[in-house]
Amino acid sequence: MEDKYSGQALAGGGVLGPVDVPSARLTRYIVLLCFTKVLKAVGLFESYDLLKAVHLVQFIFIVQLGSAFFMVLFQKPFSSGKVVTKRQWIKIFKHAIVGCIISLLWFFGLTLCGPLRTLLLFEHSDVVVLSLLSVLFTNSGGGPAKTRGAAFFVIAVICLLLFDNDDLMAKIAEHPEGHHDSALTHVLYTIIAFLGVADHKGGVLLLVLALCCKVGFHMASRKLSVDVGGAKRLQALSHLVSVLLLCPWVIVLSLTTESKVESWSALVMSFVTVIFFVMILDFYVESICSVKIEASTCARYGSLLTFTSALLFGNFWTHPITDQLRALNKPPHHESTEHVLSGGVVVSAVFFILSANILSSPSRKGQKGTLIGYSPEGTPLYNFMGDALHQSSQSLPRFIKESLKQILEEYDSRQIFYFLCLNLAFTFVELFYGVWTNSLGLISDGFHMLFDCSALVMGLFAALMTRWKATRIFSYGYGRVEILSGFINGLFLMVIAFFVFMESVARLLDPPDIDTNMLTPVSVGGLIVNLVGICAFSHAHSHGASRGGCHSNEHSHSHHGHSHGHGHSHSDHGHGHGHSHGASGGGMNTNMRGVFLHVLADTLGSVGVIVSTIFIQQFGWLIADPLCSLFIATLIFLSVIPLLKDACQVLLLRIPPEQEKDLHSALEKVR
Amino acid sequence: QGTIHLFRKSQRSLVGKLAHEFRLVAADRRSWKILLFGAINLICVGLLLMWCSSTNSIALTAYTYLTIFDLFSLVTCLISYWVMMKKPSPVYSFGFERFEVLAVFASTVLAQLGALFILKESAERFLEQPEIHTGRLLVGTFVALFFNLFTMLSVRNKPFAYVSEAASTSWLQEHVADLSRSICGIIPGLSSIFLPRMNPFVLIDIAGALALCVTYMLIEINNYFAVDTASAVAIALMTFGTMYPMSVYSGKVLLQTTPPHVIGQLDKLLREVSTLDGVLEVRNEHFWTLGFGTLAGSVHVRIRRDANEQMVLAHVTNRLYALVSTLTVQIFKDDWIRPTLSSVPVANSILSLSDHHVIPMPPLSATGNPGATTSTPAKASTPPPEFSFNTPGKHVSPVLLANAQARPYGLGFSHGCARYGSGLSQGLGTPGPGAAPGSRTGCASAPSRYGASARGQPRP
Repeated sequence: MEDKYSGQALAGGGVLGPVDVPSARLTRYIVLLCFTKVLKAVGLFESYDLLKAVHLVQFIFIVQLGSAFFMVLFQKPFSSGKVVTKRQWIKIFKHAIVGCIISLLWFFGLTLCGPLRTLLLFEHSDVVVLSLLSVLFTNSGGGPAKTRGAAFFVIAVICLLLFDNDDLMAKIAEHPEGHHDSALTHVLYTIIAFLGVADHKGGVLLLVLALCCKVGFHMASRKLSVDVGGAKRLQALSHLVSVLLLCPWVIVLSLTTESKVESWSALVMSFVTVIFFVMILDFYVESICSVKIEASTCARYGSLLTFTSALLFGNFWTHPITDQLRALNKPPHHESTEHVLSGGVVVSAVFFILSANILSSPSRKGQKGTLIGYSPEGTPLYNFMGDALHQSSQSLPRFIKESLKQILEEYDSRQIFYFLCLNLAFTFVELFYGVWTNSLGLISDGFHMLFDCSALVMGLFAALMTRWKATRIFSYGYGRVEILSGFINGLFLMVIAFFVFMESVARLLDPPDIDTNMLTPVSVGGLIVNLVGICAFSHAHSHGASRGGCHSNEHSHSHHGHSHGHGHSHSDHGHGHGHSHGASGGGMNTNMRGVFLHVLADTLGSVGVIVSTIFIQQFGWLIADPLCSLFIATLIFLSVIPLLKDACQVLLLRIPPEQEKDLHSALEKVR
Repeated sequence: QGTIHLFRKSQRSLVGKLAHEFRLVAADRRSWKILLFGAINLICVGLLLMWCSSTNSIALTAYTYLTIFDLFSLVTCLISYWVMMKKPSPVYSFGFERFEVLAVFASTVLAQLGALFILKESAERFLEQPEIHTGRLLVGTFVALFFNLFTMLSVRNKPFAYVSEAASTSWLQEHVADLSRSICGIIPGLSSIFLPRMNPFVLIDIAGALALCVTYMLIEINNYFAVDTASAVAIALMTFGTMYPMSVYSGKVLLQTTPPHVIGQLDKLLREVSTLDGVLEVRNEHFWTLGFGTLAGSVHVRIRRDANEQMVLAHVTNRLYALVSTLTVQIFKDDWIRPTLSSVPVANSILSLSDHHVIPMPPLSATGNPGATTSTPAKASTPPPEFSFNTPGKHVSPVLLANAQARPYGLGFSHGCARYGSGLSQGLGTPGPGAAPGSRTGCASAPSRYGASARGQPRP
């Protein structure tokens, strides 16, 4: 840090140039900011302890009351500044409601997953979150660095969700339903329980949601704060209004439930610390720093200090030594195993620090083009106009509508599309049913179906692309896409056959026990779906064949006439190209053949499952299953070879075999 | 039964053919090394697959697939040797260069399909995480890593080296380049290794090994078995990222597309061609890459009725030959339909060039005054004769043909015109091998250049 600033001082020292703030003054603000962040961490830890004793809504009420009191005292919103109009009051009212909801979520998350995780998740500045969202949801993120930062952020959250085995805490926080203090917490608990995640994981999700809300809230309240006359004045008024809002609720609450607090006077001190550290000091210092320092620097130092201090406090807060340092009138911490540090938390804290650092750094835009490759001579090629050309602003619904229309226009793509829909519907029914009955076999079969659907999607896309107009780069049009997709589908089937083969060989050596109860209905369903597909596609087969025949007839006609008309000068060259597009295997085009073979392979699979199930149930031959799959694998493999061969021949620019003889004779005539 | 019998027969002949070709390749000394590496690779893959099933780790399986991909790349290398030996046959009239491209495409696509399989498997594993035994995990990782690196660095794999240079940057490379740019700011010496981008295969091997090491550590320390699945997903995604640009590049070659970086030069050459004396318009031009780096193309040139088509043909091929090695030029004359077509596989073109070199070339002197013979004024007067085929004495079928051909051509050309001007050429493009120096010279200097380049041309 110091190095950096001395460097800046050197750079900005005696040189004429843009006037920079002297670094000494900057350092002062940064130190102030860091100090505040540490204190804020202290305040949050303190408020977690308080929340064990005090009800959530009461706590928020008291905090809001205290901060409203001090803010009104400092800012004097009524005696100074413009008069607040009625419309602005309504806006302030809304502002206060949203603010209350966000702080409710925040502190509820705090009770769920502890102060350390709350600090890690919630204390991100707006800059970081905004650039994160722009990377995640728009394409113009700003280079690979930002993408990395976003990936780190996501990894950190996932670490908190998956690798943070906070089991001890989950055990403590186990709560019988109905024990909750109020309707609100009860509702929130039910929602989290409904989502089916553990409490602290629910807290993590809640805090992420609250973070997004907070950033949106800050964005939205910016205009209002200008209208009212400064963010501070708005804050003071908003606190005041929210106190008024919460007041009836708190009164009802304190009348209906008996308080767990023995003496409120003992808590005054801690409430004051929370109010000062979490609300007031942080707010003022942040508003000062945002004026004096750049937002990015501010965010970087703030998050760094918050996270490190959170880690430190997380380790030492419940430590016995700290208990001795505390005031004596407080209850000592008994359960020191609550929300402890775990490996996952440390890793995610590191990732959070990194991502905050990366995401808050100002993006360098438009400096250089992206390297797109090398020319044959070895000089690198850069693309400088990147963004401007790629942006074709088309709204999503419209795009979907257009592409649907295109899909339904032609026979092939329509068939694939309908079958894809059917397949997907079956898959999702299977998946949902599998989740519902908690059956792993069903779910994994559903994943398998999804895997198969990818081939269909590719076929559909190829069928769409084939009809695109020829461009400068694709000067022959997109006809070959179909062949390429057929080729890829063939490779796909080869891979599937290979894996099935390997698996069945492994099972042949060591036949496992198979639970056949669940298999039959699923495979029968799959068989029905695939049979529908086969019917559709074999219809397409005949259809395509007749049409293809017509087509080739026409072609050969023109060919014929051509060679007759001016037989002397005719050459095969240009026509060789023309044919290489239109002419493909027998009947339907390569793409449709690939898709058809895929569906056929699936059907064979379900037939195999049914047959082997019958064998196993009737005769108890466990070996029937691997034998069946071995047979199927060979069948798939053999049926793919002609497809691959044809596609290869076209792609390799071979003279089409069926026209080879004609071409030869035509050439002979010319000579 | 008949079909099956037939199929068997073709299969056998295929095997025989393959054996024959294999013997052809194996005669070369360089391919022994590759065969040796392939054998070691097979052993290594077998060993790794055994360890995969003993550790039950899907991340190691994903890494093993990279080793299998190495095997494919060795096969591709063999194919490229084979391609170098083969001459164009009557059936494969463009030569066998495309086998190389197809092999690269197939192996990258297979690697991606393997990664897709891994993704599917790991989605199933997320539901029910099996236990991983770390016994052979690290050993397998290092065996695979060293073998992969050894293969990459010791075998000179021409097609993959070319594709990895020419394809666009993968996201993995992009991130590494971005990181190393800041590292090289501190230590400038490293920039020769890391910048502008690393070899993608070396990169993915190292990154995958790193992921496996992290997996090993976390499983050893804390028994986080889910890390194995996560790192398998990471390796699969990295495989996708690395292979995707390459398969896009080779797929575009297979789709017969014009490589974007030569479009600028091609436009320049075509403009030059269209200003040649006697040329009215150039249309229906198709250029595509045959193998890696060799361009093929076909052009239709319409010439004035008093122009000497052999002259024009010689000039057009001369111009385009610098860039396009396999060129087909079809020459149309205005009033009669008989198109003079000459295919110029290289030897032929040289023949015709040396034939016409001796001709005193009267039209070229006329080119000195540019106003008279630019293509634009001539164009305005030409369309009517092209379409007036209703002269009585003609045969019927040519009319059909000419109509069918002429309309799209005209449309296509105007379309192309609009696009050329609009600036595709300004974005990309580097100076070509020798096209730039000639581009500004007027047509008057053509004879001398023509002679010179005709002399420079004789290569096989």
